[in-house]
Order: sequence, then structure tokens, then C-alpha cells
Amino acid sequence: MKPAPTLSSAFLKPAGDFLPAPLLELRQQRGAALADMPLPTRKTENWKYSSRYLKLSDELATSLPTTGKHGTALAAPGHHVVFRNGVMVPEASDFPDTNGVTIKRFADLTDDEARELAERLDNTLDANAVQLARLNSARFEDGLLIRLAPDAVLEHPLFIISETDAHVSGSAYPRIYVDAGRHSQATLVEEYIANGAEPVMVNAVSEFVLAEGAQITSVRLSAEGENVQHVGATGVRQAAHSRFDSHCVGFGGPMRRHDLQVRLEESGANCRLNGVVVTQGRQHYDNHTVIEHVAPHCDSEETYRNIAAGQSHAVFNGRIHIHQDAQKSNANMSNKNLLLSTGAEIDTKPELEIYADDVKCAHGATVGQLNEESIFYLVSRGIDRRNARTLLTMAFINELIEQIPVEAVRETAQARLNHFIDQTFEEA
Amino acid sequence: MANTDKQVNELIKREYEHGFVTEIEADTFEPGLNEDVIRRLSAIKNEPEFMLEWRLKAYRRWLEMDEPDWAHVDFPKVDYNAISYYSAPKKKEDMPQSLDDVDPELLKTYEKLGIPLHERERLAGVAVDAVFDSVSVATTFKEPLEKAGVIFCPISEAVQKYPELVQKYLGSVVPAGDNYFAALNSAVFSDGSFVYIPKGVRCPLELSTYFRINAANTGQFERTLIVADDDSYVSYLEGCTAPMRDENQLHAAVVELVVLDNAQIKYSTVQNWYPGDENGKGGIYNFVTKRAACIGNNSKVSWTQVETGSAITWKYPSCVLRGDNSVGEFYSVALTHNFQQADTGTKMIHMGKNTSSTIISKGISAGRSSNAYRGLVKFGPTAEGARNFTQCDSLLIGDRCAAHTFPYIESKNKSAIVEHEATTSKVSDEQMFLCRQRGIDPEQAVSMIVNGFCKEVFKELPMEFAVEAGKLLEVSLEGSVG
Repeated sequence: MKPAPTLSSAFLKPAGDFLPAPLLELRQQRGAALADMPLPTRKTENWKYSSRYLKLSDELATSLPTTGKHGTALAAPGHHVVFRNGVMVPEASDFPDTNGVTIKRFADLTDDEARELAERLDNTLDANAVQLARLNSARFEDGLLIRLAPDAVLEHPLFIISETDAHVSGSAYPRIYVDAGRHSQATLVEEYIANGAEPVMVNAVSEFVLAEGAQITSVRLSAEGENVQHVGATGVRQAAHSRFDSHCVGFGGPMRRHDLQVRLEESGANCRLNGVVVTQGRQHYDNHTVIEHVAPHCDSEETYRNIAAGQSHAVFNGRIHIHQDAQKSNANMSNKNLLLSTGAEIDTKPELEIYADDVKCAHGATVGQLNEESIFYLVSRGIDRRNARTLLTMAFINELIEQIPVEAVRETAQARLNHFIDQTFEEA
Repeated sequence: MANTDKQVNELIKREYEHGFVTEIEADTFEPGLNEDVIRRLSAIKNEPEFMLEWRLKAYRRWLEMDEPDWAHVDFPKVDYNAISYYSAPKKKEDMPQSLDDVDPELLKTYEKLGIPLHERERLAGVAVDAVFDSVSVATTFKEPLEKAGVIFCPISEAVQKYPELVQKYLGSVVPAGDNYFAALNSAVFSDGSFVYIPKGVRCPLELSTYFRINAANTGQFERTLIVADDDSYVSYLEGCTAPMRDENQLHAAVVELVVLDNAQIKYSTVQNWYPGDENGKGGIYNFVTKRAACIGNNSKVSWTQVETGSAITWKYPSCVLRGDNSVGEFYSVALTHNFQQADTGTKMIHMGKNTSSTIISKGISAGRSSNAYRGLVKFGPTAEGARNFTQCDSLLIGDRCAAHTFPYIESKNKSAIVEHEATTSKVSDEQMFLCRQRGIDPEQAVSMIVNGFCKEVFKELPMEFAVEAGKLLEVSLEGSVG
């Protein structure tokens, strides 16, 4: 047997020495632990369907230079923070001055703050399940720390735009840490975009820690181009009665991966995870979610929809894990997939792992094509076939898009999805 | 509930009814596995050269393979060199010619198990190819089968009498190198059943065989091969019970079904190997590879299984739906109690046009057991218009047990439709209240509710088995309510 390929040492040379010392130390520690890390292969269970898309050439190991023009960000009312190649661009960012809301880039943290953060980074993620995202902890060059004091309410959404300059080959490591105090509320929108055409890798990690009663809405838009491999991980820990509302919209690419891990750690915590993925051409997208019901009386609701056209490949793996003492848990998972062409592939694995008896858990998954009867219904009413198919396809995902609470994101997402669907049916 | 708890405890403590050891002399190999052992095994069975070659090839493949560890089960490693690979009841003559020739000790054993081997089986309409440890000792009802042209015999006999059929189909569904346990089985399989249903024949009887592990430290490596030729039909029943033992015993069987044009095989299993005691000590390791190849168009395979025994069950009866319009079905009830672990499910591989499959899986976990459904539904690019429906439900009894679902769905054809749903629940207080209010005691109530939960599967079983399955569940389940 061939030994499994390991992570090239070229990937363990971070840039960005302007970080405070405790964070630099942390990076070094994490990097040392990654030496000779085996890369996922077809035999790695959680990369079974996706390892073949992962292409980690040494060229991608270099940090992308932090200079360059900044592109167009999502123009929407709210506050904007722009990161370019994983480093904040102060002149393009405006921070809200709401009472109780502290937003700081990692580079500006005092040593004490940095030390405190260093202790808490990575605590929300299961390192064994997010092999590649661990690279972020060894490489991040900057990041955004958002701290919401108890009862603080951020009225407008905060847009965090991670832009990647792909004018040369390399990689970027955006990082976000959100610490939401008791009964605080905020809506955060992460948008990942890229310009340029050189092959690059984006390795993004976001962490959310919700104290009792905190309410966080998180929107994640992944819309980079055909030259960008994206490995992302989001970790969430929830205290009593907190609510985490997640909306992920993903457009396919050469390699797209998002791990979302939520731990419901105290009674009454609940989460809703929505996701929409569209792929076409030879694109790929892989969503892996884990919801851990650690405490009793927690609810989770998960709905993911995938559309795969052309020769593309969409993967969904959702796991609900009910721990032994998590009685009275309610968990629902639904994954529906639309396979628009025979060259495309959809792989889905909705898993339940249950160690408590007084729980209500259900999952459902379907894979299929547009219903011929529905098309016929529309055609018989004078709508041409192509429009009928467009309508039905849009309807398939709109149910989820409509739940996104930020209008600007909803519109952007809808426009992009319309464009995607138009393109898809033009090809057909 | 104090009263109930007491009843529960009493019932939980009920000993395994089929735990006894028959004392008969056995020809047993020294423990250990190497090429010599395989040569000896093959020589004892007087096998043709091709079989020995086939076994050795499988053995060499096995040596290169790693033991799989992906299943959701936890057990100490098996020492394959501590197992004896052959054990046959001592024969007084060369072969028993009739039931009278069979060792009476053996017959008594079967009697205790309630196997209809004497006259009563004629009434039951069952022909039994009883496998005692490794050699088939008695086969009844050969006549009506022979009249119909059906071949139903021990596989060791088939190797002698019908080498061309065996050579053609053996390993065609489960290749020797398919997986770790299949390779081991291919190398050392001792005996099993061979069935061939000729063209256009509807098998006049339900075929049945009983496996029983007897001598201590003997791994049992059964091999079953059923071939249904064009337009034929057969229903095959398999039942398992094993005597009580303290050491874990390994059972790595392979079952291959070949279904040609318009043929149909119905394969039913009631598995009740010794599950270990209430502390999780002892019990059978049941690592089985079962697979059916629907080669012909319009062919159909139906797997029905009721799994109540074994310390560890690791088994995925699968269907490869290659022929157009072929149908695969999987109905399963898996019950685990005490420290039992089960990782079971099915694979439906759709390759032909308009193929369809149905999966109904009911898992019941009680005590500290763990019960997992693991299934794969795969649509290849050629599976135009294929269809699958999967439903897997879990029922939890007690707060220290576990139930898992790992369904893999892979689709490469846009016209294929797959639907999967799974639920997990427990016997609700309302259901219990309703029953008790009507004067039904808690044991009966649970038994009733669980039977209702499994009804969809039981109705697929042949009548005799359905009765046995219901009883088995009752025995295994009563007492798990608290």
C-alpha cells in the first residue's frame, strides 16, 4: 500500500508577523502539530467524495501579498469590514459604534487581549473532523474579534467581506471570532469573493460562542470563482436558551468545502441551519454539518438543498449526535437534492447517532429531478418548457432563500441563483 | 413502577434457552491458519483441484488485507490463529444414508431446538439441510425436489457432483477478495448449502437450513450459493441458534444469490446466535457477507431478516440490480439487548434501467446495546428511471442504549429518484397508559407495541418464521421496560 500523502512543509510557513506575540506563539504551536499531517484521501471517511478535488500544490502555500486594489463589496445598508487575503483593510471598513459592541482586528489586540483570545481559539471545532481547517490556525495573518457585551444589540447587519486577490498563486486564511454575551443580538454576514484568475486557496475559519440567551444570525455567502479552492469551517457553541440561525449559500467551484459544527451545550439552546448549494459545469461543493445535542431540552432544525447540473458534484453529510443525557431533544434534518443532468453526481448521508431514549429525531433525504407533472401543469397554462423548468428550480431553493433576514443578501443571492439557473438551462 | 421493575429484572435474567452443548466426538483441526490447513481441509473434502487453487488464492488475498474498523462496533481483536478451521461430527459410516444413520445425539440437539426433522416436517412442508458445525448430516425431502429438478445439497457435495455449476457461480457475486471476512471465508469455508433451480421451475417446497455452532473454539464459515435460472422461483429460509459459550466465537459466512431472467429469490433469516450474557460476556461475532446479483431482466430478490442474537452483528445483505426492471427488497428487524452491538443494513446498487428497491429497516435497542443502520443506495449513470424508497425507524427502550443511522445515498442519474426517511422514538407513555388502562400488563403491552412496530417486516416472512420471529422478539424483549 502507498503511504498516504502528507501536508507539504511549504504550507507551514506563515506570513503576517505583525500579530501580537501570544497569537504568533499559538500559530507556531498549531503549525508544529500539523507537521506530516496526512492529507485526506478517498479512504478518509469525511472526505470520501471530495478528496479527489483537493489539489494542494506547493504554489498554493505562499501567502498572498496584502497589497492591491479592492474590488466591489456588497453594497448594502449596515456596517462593513473588508478583509483582503485574510488581512483587514482599515480604509475600506467602518465599525459600528454601538454601545457594548467591540470590534477589533487581531493585529490591534493588546497582549492581554491576545492572550485571552489565544486560549479560546479553536475551542468550538472538533479538530479531528476538520483536518484542513486546522491549517488556518497555523497560518492566519489577521482576523476579526467581535465581542458583544451582555444585552448589547447590533441593530444593522455587519458585513464581513473576505476578498481574495488571485493575481498570483497562493493562499489566504481569513478568521473570525464572535463572543456573544448574555442576551446580546447581532446579524453577521460573511461574504467570500475573489478577483483575478490564478489558482488560489481560501481557508476560512469562523467561531461563534453564544452565552445564555444570545441570538446570532449568521449568513454565509460563498461565491468565489473557478480558480479558487475554498475550505471553510464554522464552529458554534451555545449556552442556555441561545439561538443560532445560520443561512449558507454556496456556489460551486473546483473544490468547495464547508464544515459547520454546532454544539448545544445547555438546556433550551436551539439552532436552525439552512443551506443552499448550486453546482454546474465541472464544479464541486461539499457541506458537512454536525449538530451535537449535549444537554437536554435543545432543538435543532436543519434544511439543506442542493442542485447539481452539468458534470458537477454536490455532497451533503449531516450528522445529528444526541448525547446520553440529552433527553427531550428535538432534531429534524431534511436534505433535498435536484439532479439536473445525468453527468452530475449527488452524494448525501444524513446520519443520526442517538444515545438517549426520550428524543424526537427524524431525517429525510431525497434525490430526484423536476417533477414532469409539475412541468406539464405549467406548460399547459402557456408557460414554455424552459421557463417552467426555471420556475420550478427556483421554487426548489427559494423557500430557503426567502428565510434569509437581510434583504440585500437575499436579493444578491436570488440574482446570482437566477443567473445560475439561466445558464444551466441554456446548456441543456 | 416498582412491581414492573421486578418483573423486568426477572425477565432480563432469563437465561438463553438454547444454551446447551451436545457431547459428541468431533474431528477438529488444531487451532491455526496457514496454507497447510487449507490443503488439509480441501483434501478431507476431496475437492477438485480448482477449489484448492481458489481457496489458496483467497487466503493469499486475505493475508494482504487489513481488518476493517469502520463499523460502529467495539470488540477486542480476533486472533485468527486461535481458531480451529475444521470440525466435523464423527461419522460411524462414510455418510449417513437416512435419518436412522444420524447420530442420535445430533437429532436430540435438533429436537431441543424444535427443528422439524422427522415426520412433522412433512406437514410443515419444509426440507431441511441441517448443518451441524461444518458437515451436513441429513437432508430430507430430496425426492419431491429431485422430481422438480431442483438441486438442494451441501455445497461440498455440489463441488463433487456439479463442479461446472459451482465453478461458474461460486465467487461470481462475492469475489474472494471482496472484503476481509469474505476472503477468510473463501479460504476456509467448511460447508453450506447449494441450491440450483432450473429454468421455469417453481420450487415446490420452502427450502430451509439450520446452522448451529457446536464445538468450542470453532469458527463457523458457511458458504451458501443459490442460483435461480430463468423464470424460476425459490423461497429459502435460514435460522440460527447456538449453544451458550463464554468465549466469543466467530461466524463469517458468505451467501451468494444469482438471479437470472424473470427469476425470483426470497431469502428469509431468523438469526438467534448466542448474544452473550447480561454483562456482555461471550456471544457470537456474526460477520456476514450476503449479496444477490440480479443479472437477468425482471428478476427479483427479497431479503427479510430478523436479527435478535449475536454479541456483534455486522451484516449488509445487498442487491446488485444489473438487469433491467429488476427489483430488490430488504426488510429487517434488528433487536439488541444488554451489551449487544449491531451494525446492519443493506446496499442497493442500481445499474439497470427501471430498477427499483425498497428498504424497510426497524431497529430496536434495549439495555446498553447499540444498534446501527448502515445502508447504501447507489444509482449508476445507466440506471434510467430507477427508484428507491428507504425507511428506517428506531425504537429505543431504556436510556442507556443507542440507535444510529448512517445512510449513504449516491446518485449519478438524473431520472433516478430516491427517498429516504428515518425516525427515532421510544415506546411512549401514552401508548403504555392506553394498554395498561385496558388491563394489559406492561410486558404484553411492550410486546404488542414492538410487534406493531415490526409488523411491516413480519408480514414479509413465511408463516412458520413469522411465528418464530414473534416469539423470539417476545423472549428477547419482555423485561426491557421500566
